[in-house]
Amino acid sequence: MSAVRLGRGIGGAVLPAYALLVLLLLQVPVVIVMLASLTTTGYLAVPPVGVTLDWYWKVISDASYIDALTFSLTVAVIATLLSLTIGTAAAYALIRRKVPGSEAIATLLMAPLVFPAVVVAVALLRYYSLIGLRGTLISLVAAHVLITLPYVVRSVLASIASADAQLEEAARTLGADAWTAFFKVTLPLIRPGLVAGGIFSFIVSFDDVPVSIFLVSVRQTTLPVKIFTAVEHGIDPGIAAISTLLIIATGFFLVVAERWVGFHRFA
Amino acid sequence: MTLGRWLNRSGFGLLSPALLLLIAVFAAPLLVLLPVSLHPYVPGRGIGTSWTFDNYLAILGDGFRLEIIGRSLSLGIIVVATTLVIGYPLAYFLARTGSRLRPWLIMLVIFPLLLNVVVRSFGWIVLLSNYGLVNELLIGVGLIDRPLKLIFNFTGLLIGLTHIFLPFMVLVLIGTIQGIPRDLEDAARTMGASRAAVFLKVTLPLSAPGVLSGGILVFVLTISALVTPRLLGGPTYQVMSTLIFDEFLKILNWPRGAAMAFILTTIVLLLIWVSGRLSRRWTVVR
Repeated sequence: MSAVRLGRGIGGAVLPAYALLVLLLLQVPVVIVMLASLTTTGYLAVPPVGVTLDWYWKVISDASYIDALTFSLTVAVIATLLSLTIGTAAAYALIRRKVPGSEAIATLLMAPLVFPAVVVAVALLRYYSLIGLRGTLISLVAAHVLITLPYVVRSVLASIASADAQLEEAARTLGADAWTAFFKVTLPLIRPGLVAGGIFSFIVSFDDVPVSIFLVSVRQTTLPVKIFTAVEHGIDPGIAAISTLLIIATGFFLVVAERWVGFHRFA
Repeated sequence: MTLGRWLNRSGFGLLSPALLLLIAVFAAPLLVLLPVSLHPYVPGRGIGTSWTFDNYLAILGDGFRLEIIGRSLSLGIIVVATTLVIGYPLAYFLARTGSRLRPWLIMLVIFPLLLNVVVRSFGWIVLLSNYGLVNELLIGVGLIDRPLKLIFNFTGLLIGLTHIFLPFMVLVLIGTIQGIPRDLEDAARTMGASRAAVFLKVTLPLSAPGVLSGGILVFVLTISALVTPRLLGGPTYQVMSTLIFDEFLKILNWPRGAAMAFILTTIVLLLIWVSGRLSRRWTVVR
């Protein structure tokens, strides 16, 4: 009897232990990059030889990194605002209006997600070359709105579907016009979906390499594309330092998002 | 009914910005790329004007390129298998645990997913290279004398891609397993089934739709991935997407690159179509 109970106890502990192990293993490459950024050597060393923050200073005082960061932020902010606007309008229409062929339209809106990014990128490269938009800010932003739109639509759809449609109708009956009713009643109700969609959109845009690398101009590149090119040409602790800054920013972003809207529910 | 009222009633007014965007930067570019794959490549001048199927025929008749297509597909299948085997127990735990920490444990799955893919691949380069941590550890423990070749080959891509796509598999499976009523498992237990039998006869079959959609997702992502295969495979160990990358940005043979792009797209769309049919059949049966 006690042997059986002991066996069950071990069986009950194996799964949590395994889960924890895999969760930790998932973070290993992240930890390695952070450690590598601290080394005093000119080459990558893990564990680091000595501890220094010199690589961080080197990266932060490098104007080309700051340029790339500013450009990435600009693109991500504009793309996210546009994506949120047109994505919310589309999701709202799909739920609250009787759209003919709504299922086909929803599938179409999600299509950029399943299409290989490389294919979308080379198609855009050819297209932009033909119409003379290659290398412009607007062409890159349009591409980013395309690849972020599915994330916004998905998060907002979930929120609108669970928000009570009668509340908005009640506001209309009480004399509010369509815009006021939407902004004062529905918008606050779907805020978690909007926030989650906005965060996904911002991260997808800011992190994108496979599409951007085909579309950026020689003079102006995004931060991830710059890091990608740097890694291709040979790795050094400076890359680990800029990567660590990205790791910290992403982690901070996620913790705030979880506290704010319970981000894990939207993944 | 006026056009304005119809746009409002039908919802197409609100949908139009999104639909126009999809036409302008998704449908139109793909339509423009299609003829590129049907023109010959003229060295030094780019895309020719005559029409031909040679780009497709050349790829399908070239051992080097066929091997690369085969490599992409087998990587896809094996990465699906590894993420499924590693991910299922984790997903099961995260779906069923009553721990207060659950949201934060799920965040540990999401965090690497949202972290820049260049950064994650870079971490694997540091770990897997000849003088990387894994080889140093194995030599230090005395398991091997010379460094194992863990990078710029199939092993490196398999490890890197499994790590990158494991979170996708786990998140899909969590959703499915949460939807299986616990009562069903409890009932089977009460009627005398062993834990293993409950898992094999109740939980696993009921989670089959999740396994299918997670598997399709990971397969599609794997054969489309560009950054990880390029960084962990280097310029010589190619897959379909890195080949397309080189054709467009390095070799500048756009017609052959476009043909490869459409072959990749066809494989992806075919798979999604088949899985759609399969999951529909499942819902009808149940």
